[in-house]
Amino acid sequence: MAEPTGRASDPDAPAAHASGRKHVAVREYVSDLVARELDVGDAIPSERALSERFGVARMTVRQAVDALVADGLLAREQGRGTFVAPRRVDFEMRLTTFGEEMRRRGMRPDSKVLAADKVPAPADVAEALGIQPGRPVHYLCRVRYADGTPMSIEQTWVPVALVPDLFEHGAPGSVYEALRRFGLDPAWGEETLTASEADERESALLSMRSRRAVMRAERRTYSESGPCAYSRACYRGDRYSVWVPLGTPTKVLVPRQPVPAEA
Amino acid sequence: MHGPRSQREQAAAILAALGGIANIDEIEPCTTRLRSLVKSPGRVDAAALRAAGAYGVMISGRVVQVVVGPGVDTLASDLEDLM
Repeated sequence: MAEPTGRASDPDAPAAHASGRKHVAVREYVSDLVARELDVGDAIPSERALSERFGVARMTVRQAVDALVADGLLAREQGRGTFVAPRRVDFEMRLTTFGEEMRRRGMRPDSKVLAADKVPAPADVAEALGIQPGRPVHYLCRVRYADGTPMSIEQTWVPVALVPDLFEHGAPGSVYEALRRFGLDPAWGEETLTASEADERESALLSMRSRRAVMRAERRTYSESGPCAYSRACYRGDRYSVWVPLGTPTKVLVPRQPVPAEA
Repeated sequence: MHGPRSQREQAAAILAALGGIANIDEIEPCTTRLRSLVKSPGRVDAAALRAAGAYGVMISGRVVQVVVGPGVDTLASDLEDLM
């Protein structure tokens, strides 16, 4: 293993700080290459080339590369090397569908329907939809793809009372489109995101080889007249990020002080 | 919010269901919800909140969140007038 030239091995020596800067320098150099010159799928320079270029140990290079892998910028392929990872899809909090979002990014959406049935609403689904437990709901379960890569598994429930024939012509390509056709245009919603791990089945459906991290999204969609759809989605952690605009909090309302009664 | 009442009537109904102005420390409008901090959660009437047009009510300690949908800002100005 190449030793850094002229550097002391005492961690308290100033040289240790120099090594720390070198780690950052390697990292910045590689991330700059990724940003300016390399495309998704390109290999980064070898560990040897980087350690020679910066005069650092291979361990230092490995640490810098590890950091970029952890950030999602690079991906290691067993036995093949380290490559520029596919970009995460940045997921803005908008009331749109998977298909709409993928097309906006120039990607081709696709679905595989795993289930399309009428079922009695389980208690938690019923509560989200504002209906009685046990009432009939349409249930749609799909794997969603972008450019042929599985991205998420989505389960959607829509009350049969609202849309009796949702599956009349087979599972709809877009539930929101189907709702619009029935005059139930989605107008607003709420979504809760939770970090989680995929179980065996989810991992297999999403073709996730080694990583397990997923983002779960629970969404309630409302039309002008009330809840119209409830969904649970499981997104691959390695392909999604969430972009959230932040504003200053709105004014908090506080009761006015009561006017003291006249004596 | 839905329903034939005026927004002013709905604001009044929400305040009453939260236990009245005397029970309220503060109310914060949050895009699709009203988040309020009450003095005594026992005086909050969730059924009355739903009757006032809330789609959901979450109570955790002294924090009461009422899902009302967009239009929270105009509702907030009515609430402010009443408070």
